[in-house]
Amino acid sequence: MALPKSLQNREFRSTRSGAFSERLIVISLALCATATVLITVGIIYMLITQSAGFFRSEAVTMSGFLTDTEWTALQSKDLAQAKFGILPLLSGTFRVTLIAMIIALPLGLITAIYLSEFASAKIRSWLKPTLEIIAGVPTVVLGYFAILVISPSLQLISEGAFSTFNATSAGIAVGILCLPMVCSLSEDAMRAVPRSLREGAYGLGCTPFETSVKVVVPAALSGIISAFLLAFSRAIGETMVVALAAGTLPTMTLDPTQQAQTMTGFIVEMIKSESEYGTVQYYSLYAVAVTLFTITFLMTLGGQIIRRRFKESYQ
Amino acid sequence: MSSIPDAIVNQDEKFLADNAKRRKRLSLWFYFLCVAIALISVVILVVLMVSIWSQGQSRLSTDLLTRAHSELEIERSGMWPAILGSLFVCGTCAVVALPLGVGTAVFLEEFQPTNKLLRWIHGFVQLNISNLAGVPSIVYGLLGLTVFVYMFNVFGQIRVNESAGMEIMGYKHFYQVLTLEPGHVVFVPQSDPTKRQTTFDEPFRAVDPDGNPIEISIWTPGTPKPSDPAIRRQTVRAGAIGGTITERNWYYFRLPFDKSFLSGGLTLALVILPIIIISSQESLRGVPSSLREASMGLGATTWQTVRDVCLPAALPGIMTGSILAMGRAIGEAAPILVVMGAAVAKSSGPKHLMDDAVTMPVLIFNWAGRQQDEFKELSAAAIIVLLVILLLLNSTAIYIRHHVQKAQS
Repeated sequence: MALPKSLQNREFRSTRSGAFSERLIVISLALCATATVLITVGIIYMLITQSAGFFRSEAVTMSGFLTDTEWTALQSKDLAQAKFGILPLLSGTFRVTLIAMIIALPLGLITAIYLSEFASAKIRSWLKPTLEIIAGVPTVVLGYFAILVISPSLQLISEGAFSTFNATSAGIAVGILCLPMVCSLSEDAMRAVPRSLREGAYGLGCTPFETSVKVVVPAALSGIISAFLLAFSRAIGETMVVALAAGTLPTMTLDPTQQAQTMTGFIVEMIKSESEYGTVQYYSLYAVAVTLFTITFLMTLGGQIIRRRFKESYQ
Repeated sequence: MSSIPDAIVNQDEKFLADNAKRRKRLSLWFYFLCVAIALISVVILVVLMVSIWSQGQSRLSTDLLTRAHSELEIERSGMWPAILGSLFVCGTCAVVALPLGVGTAVFLEEFQPTNKLLRWIHGFVQLNISNLAGVPSIVYGLLGLTVFVYMFNVFGQIRVNESAGMEIMGYKHFYQVLTLEPGHVVFVPQSDPTKRQTTFDEPFRAVDPDGNPIEISIWTPGTPKPSDPAIRRQTVRAGAIGGTITERNWYYFRLPFDKSFLSGGLTLALVILPIIIISSQESLRGVPSSLREASMGLGATTWQTVRDVCLPAALPGIMTGSILAMGRAIGEAAPILVVMGAAVAKSSGPKHLMDDAVTMPVLIFNWAGRQQDEFKELSAAAIIVLLVILLLLNSTAIYIRHHVQKAQS
């Protein structure tokens, strides 16, 4: 049998340059991946070095920062009178977040159950894009919606008990923002539950309600909880809605009708005030950011770990 | 023999029937609850759109699209500089984030680690990216503020009329000095850039505003003042003070970047990088491994396989993800606000690399926070423009997704 022509007169090229360029490309791609690690390192380095400028100051103590119930970094230009206690900002953040979660978690979860268990293909093809559009609405638009529609309606319903800027209207808008996220993540988790489980439940005589609540939801629980945690951290880090609708007064109360400056809201106000670079008040920005970053980081990490660790795998 | 459970032997027919009816009713109620709640999201979207449209439609005019923000003529304020600014900022963002994101995704998906250490690093990078996706965008804003705007103050802080940081290229410093003709200035090229001011006591060479070199003579007070305008334009009072003015080319470059659109774009790139990486990874994962194996079997190297097989197959997915990420970037206000400040008084788009800019979300934020009703309506109108742009982007993404899905199946 005759050999193919290319094998008869072998003129092989050297692969050395090819191997070299291959290696070069791998290295440059690895450098791209390193850049993402650099971003994390950069965030942590930035937060530590800059907030050191805050904690080094004599007007600030660590225990005061964590336990004082007043935060007047913006109001008092005089350092001696400024009070730096993170609790009012934390309380504002958690008030807004709590209201957001009361809105987003049940609505998101039930919409997800509807989408994965009941909805026909036609309804799905309408509902999914609707949720995607809500998810794609810029947050500043939802903030505007909060002051344009939600806050006046609340005032109307309660006959003026709510102040113009209040924690509830911001919380509702943040809840709307988190709803599509909770919904799509939990729906993914529920769709991953195999058909056989549902068929088993129906075969034993369960109603659709019992199948979805007692079989599908528990089977998808790890995914649902991680969705909740991610939504929680998203709500804590949400900025534009609270900057527009939650007010600018740090308050330490549980009253949802009052103003509530959150951590992110404070950062925006501080930037807007164009405070002098290098003052203790300016560096307090970074101390707030450290708190914010720590909380959201732990939440996201927790969500990741729950999803990986407790992931039910069905063969 | 095992005994039959009691519940099966003595069946209470009535109880069973009631129970079944109750359970079925509960299930039906739950179904209605689901439908009602699923409708809520539709209602929310409709209310959102209708309220913003009714608030803003009266301000949708050519003024809005062609003019700049104005405190004096609120009625005729517009958002043209903001549109340009958003374009520049998001352009920078895309140029930086797309190659970096797709490169990282390719590295993580296609170059699987071979030993234990590498596998550990791989997992770490993966976890790190998931965490970055959860970092609030305002923290990225602070990162951009520290790293791009101030650069940890390594190169000195930029102050108006005092310090311009470390300038690298594309600039020309002049001393600007008034001549005897009112309103007419001439420019003297600067030799020592650290000296921000100078006084003129003897004749010197300068350029006039048209760029022609001229000789300037000195007039000492007390001597007769020239009356011919042509001579007055070339004469300067003794002891006149010249302040620095800088002519910047489009490639003007300095460190730190200060509150420029470049800082804003780079910061936004950090924000959307995790989104691009995750979506690109997913579409690369969707490429069937048989394609890869066939390519490898024909003797292609890993990179050749990636370049000629995997990337083309995953391209629609990557493009969809990138377009959605760009939509996020256009609507993102918080990091831009932190990096570039909340001022909206700029009347044109960026002129050079280090020029500041206004973006649409920041303008909307600024207008929405004002007392005057005109600004609130303008804000709603600007939101309509922004939403239309986002809608166009998203429908492009959906079109690509559907079109290519059809072609591939």
